Amino acid sequence: MKDIDNLQKRSRKLRDFAETMGSSGLAFTGLVGLLFLAILVWQITAPTFIDGESGEIPAANEFITESDYEMEWDYPNTDSNGALTTDAIVLEISWDGGDEVHELQINIISERDIYEDVYINESGLSTNIVEIGRKTKFHLYSSLTEVVLVIQNSGPVPSADETGKPLVSSFVIEYDIAVVYDGGLVFEPLEIIAYATLIFLVIIYRAPKSNILEFMHKLVGKERMVLAIFYALALVTTIAGGLSVPSTLAALCWILAARMMSALIKGIERMLHSGRKLSEVSRLKHSISNRDGLLMWSSMLLVTSTLFIPLEIYIPFLTERYQDIFSPYSSGIRAAFYGTIWVMLIAMISSVPISVGAAIYLEEYAKPTKTTKLIQALVTNLAGVPSIVFGMFGLAIFVKQGGIGWGLGPSILAAGLTMGVMAMPIIVLASQEALRSVPRSLRESAYGVGCTQWQVTKDHVLPSAMPGIMTGSILAMSRIMGEAAPLVVVGATAMIVFDPEPLAGLFGGNVNFTVIPIQIYFWTSEPDPAWHAMAAAASISLIALLVAMNSIAIVLRQHFRRRLN
Amino acid sequence: MSFLEYLKNNRARVILFLTSFSVILITLGIIQTLLFESINFFSELAESRGWFTFDWDLAGITSGTGIAAAIFLLVYIAELLITKFTIEQETKLDIILFPKQFVIYIAAALLVVQFFVLDTLLMGVAFVFVFITWRRLASAVNKQRYGMQLSDSTLWRNISLGFFLIALAKSITMNYGGALGEFFLTTNWNPALKPVSFGVNSLLLTTLQVAFGALIIAVPLGVGCAIYLSEYAPPRLVAVVKPTLELLAGIPSVVYGFFAFIYIGPLVVELGEYFYANGWIDEPPNVLNPINGAIVVGVMILPLIASMSEDALRAVPNELREGSLALGATKIETTFKVMIQASLSGIIASIILALSRAVGETMAVTLAVGTVAVFTANMFLPAQTMTAYIAQRVGGDLPFGEIGYLTIFAVGLYLFVITLTLNLIGNRVLAAYREAY
Repeated sequence: MKDIDNLQKRSRKLRDFAETMGSSGLAFTGLVGLLFLAILVWQITAPTFIDGESGEIPAANEFITESDYEMEWDYPNTDSNGALTTDAIVLEISWDGGDEVHELQINIISERDIYEDVYINESGLSTNIVEIGRKTKFHLYSSLTEVVLVIQNSGPVPSADETGKPLVSSFVIEYDIAVVYDGGLVFEPLEIIAYATLIFLVIIYRAPKSNILEFMHKLVGKERMVLAIFYALALVTTIAGGLSVPSTLAALCWILAARMMSALIKGIERMLHSGRKLSEVSRLKHSISNRDGLLMWSSMLLVTSTLFIPLEIYIPFLTERYQDIFSPYSSGIRAAFYGTIWVMLIAMISSVPISVGAAIYLEEYAKPTKTTKLIQALVTNLAGVPSIVFGMFGLAIFVKQGGIGWGLGPSILAAGLTMGVMAMPIIVLASQEALRSVPRSLRESAYGVGCTQWQVTKDHVLPSAMPGIMTGSILAMSRIMGEAAPLVVVGATAMIVFDPEPLAGLFGGNVNFTVIPIQIYFWTSEPDPAWHAMAAAASISLIALLVAMNSIAIVLRQHFRRRLN
Repeated sequence: MSFLEYLKNNRARVILFLTSFSVILITLGIIQTLLFESINFFSELAESRGWFTFDWDLAGITSGTGIAAAIFLLVYIAELLITKFTIEQETKLDIILFPKQFVIYIAAALLVVQFFVLDTLLMGVAFVFVFITWRRLASAVNKQRYGMQLSDSTLWRNISLGFFLIALAKSITMNYGGALGEFFLTTNWNPALKPVSFGVNSLLLTTLQVAFGALIIAVPLGVGCAIYLSEYAPPRLVAVVKPTLELLAGIPSVVYGFFAFIYIGPLVVELGEYFYANGWIDEPPNVLNPINGAIVVGVMILPLIASMSEDALRAVPNELREGSLALGATKIETTFKVMIQASLSGIIASIILALSRAVGETMAVTLAVGTVAVFTANMFLPAQTMTAYIAQRVGGDLPFGEIGYLTIFAVGLYLFVITLTLNLIGNRVLAAYREAY
């Protein structure tokens, strides 16, 4: 018997060892997967803070042999007031006669077609500071017989040599480094206190502590005073912030905090009244009225206010359009942003009603016939069709003229309809899921009081399923917002110097458009690393937009899921 | 009740049906677009090669393959009727159905001989089918006479139907033969420069390299992630990680492409330099390569696999887990021998759907893998996937109807068929496991 005991003990040890090793191995793999994802998140966000292109800019070095020498720069280095925004362009002009060295400062201003030429004679230069217009040629005239050496000491590289051919294909100007932030706080101290208060209250609501509740208990009966203080603070914050956007948001924070405080105090009173003790913190959530609503509004407010931080920082990147191929840092995504909004809007208008209708038919009306099963299978499979195939569908149906083509051209309308078609199966599936989760009893009780099928659907099923449908639609929209492949096929271009016209496909006009993912794609394809920084910035804007949309969807879903349960 | 009255009484139903009918229209539109333009492509290709001028002639039907198709159809019909065929009494047909044994041997020998005589392989196969169906018919009649149970297996019927469809397709497309063969069998893809050649295999190879490379990365990590989340991780962590996974799955592919282009590419090049220095690859590596694409697509499909597999693991009833633990199994044994077994179809479905997603991935692959179509096993050189070809080709200005424009539809149709097949299998597997619990 002892031997068997020993054997069992040994095998148990072995088994325990195997068990520990195996489970830790599994946990390790899982953690590596999570780590991988975490690194990805970090890597995508980390490199996208633009520092501008620094380092040595090679100076041009030319001999002037004849009397005329011509140079050209591409982008203004002064702002509208005439102040320099980059290093000044300084030419060092020297010649042998008397070892003369002269410096010439050149300011390129943004107005076009301004000429000012410089003449060189024995006494020196005719002027020391020249202002010339953007994209105009600049001439140096020399009346000397000997060779004049021109060296550029600082500033951007000129784009043309004396024969008029480009010297370098592209170059970087240290200009308009994308995020210009002039020190100081984004939020005023009072606004930060408002946010802190709101966050503090949210934490108390979610995880109440008994000692804090005891402190709150002392405020019972003084709700009016607390409310008055908070409303006064809201007023002060607004006035001190000069009615700016963050101050208004902070005032909203104060008002919400006041509501939450009074609800909390009343809740504590009610809890004590019903014979509970303050130490039973888990009972608190049942005694606060409208707890979920307050929590949802406050989290929405907090998320929204983080979105407004960029408004306080001057970002030409968001407000400028594409300039030209030589000036990456002064280009922006304004046109792309408008394009994205229009495409999404058209996609939403065209796809959401049809998709929800299809979902209602499939869930509420359809009998399990062959047609229904076919439609169901098609929806499931369409959701997995590669996006580029939808693009080709859009190209053949919406863009092309003739045959079954509608001939809208490569316009926003065609892109929006293509995206709508792509979003449709996703929305149908999500809406079906939402409709399926509506309890059977609801429908039956509505039928029981004599409603028709359409009345049941319209008045009872749809309102209950609405949160799920909304969530699905928002998620589908955020997915098509990031899709570039169908639009590449439909014919989006990257070089858009105007705001797009949404209905140009129907009524004529300039049909060209672009969206943010397309901008990222084309900018990444450029050889110049400066454009890559722009692509990174555009990516971060796109991700911010997507995260905002997705978090709204997630918050909505969490909230309503809790309510339904 | 007239049709108009029906419309009047069921307005809501009719309108809703029309909305759901649009799904069928969209699918038909996609198939029509791809198919129509692909046929144009093949006919134009055949025409440009001087093989034939396209005209809807069905000359192929009367060829040997066409006759073989007809024979297969007859076999299929005979198989359909086999159970309804009742010959209780002895009739004159018995001489045909039950000849002397040596006649059967001679017929079998003839079957072997005709393979060497006939130049159409499908015809030979058709005669084999006729022989087998003949014997099956005889045995069915025999069984009926002696009151035995007839087997209701439809396997043979389906096989003959399959052969019929193959023969029919081959006889119809016989005139495209050269074009189809060039497209599906050769490996040189060069649609822009003369002499042009359209061998889609070089695109397909890169696509598969990227997709399976992505699976190699994503499956262990994704499934490990799912097991960890559903079996080991504390609920608070799960509550944080699940929405994060959703967010990650929502990050646009072009951003992943940028990420691959800027960050992963140089890392892969360093690895390639090491390989090159050791002489394992014969050409210096490039920033754009399929490994780069495989890594980034792997990261893209990781959230998909993780969240779908986790759903599958969570769908397993708790009784199974508790029962296993109650029998004395350890946690790891429960995980491997019960949970994974029980949710295997869900996990496999997630992998198949992820594969389909990886095959159809466009922007990330375009930016990460490059735009040079080559057929090589060296995965450190720039290559081009099918999706990347489409995206690159339409990026330029192309006149509609030209052969370069038509290629994208042929490639697109091939891609569509591949992903549709994968999706069908994946959804079938998914439905099976959903039914199980």
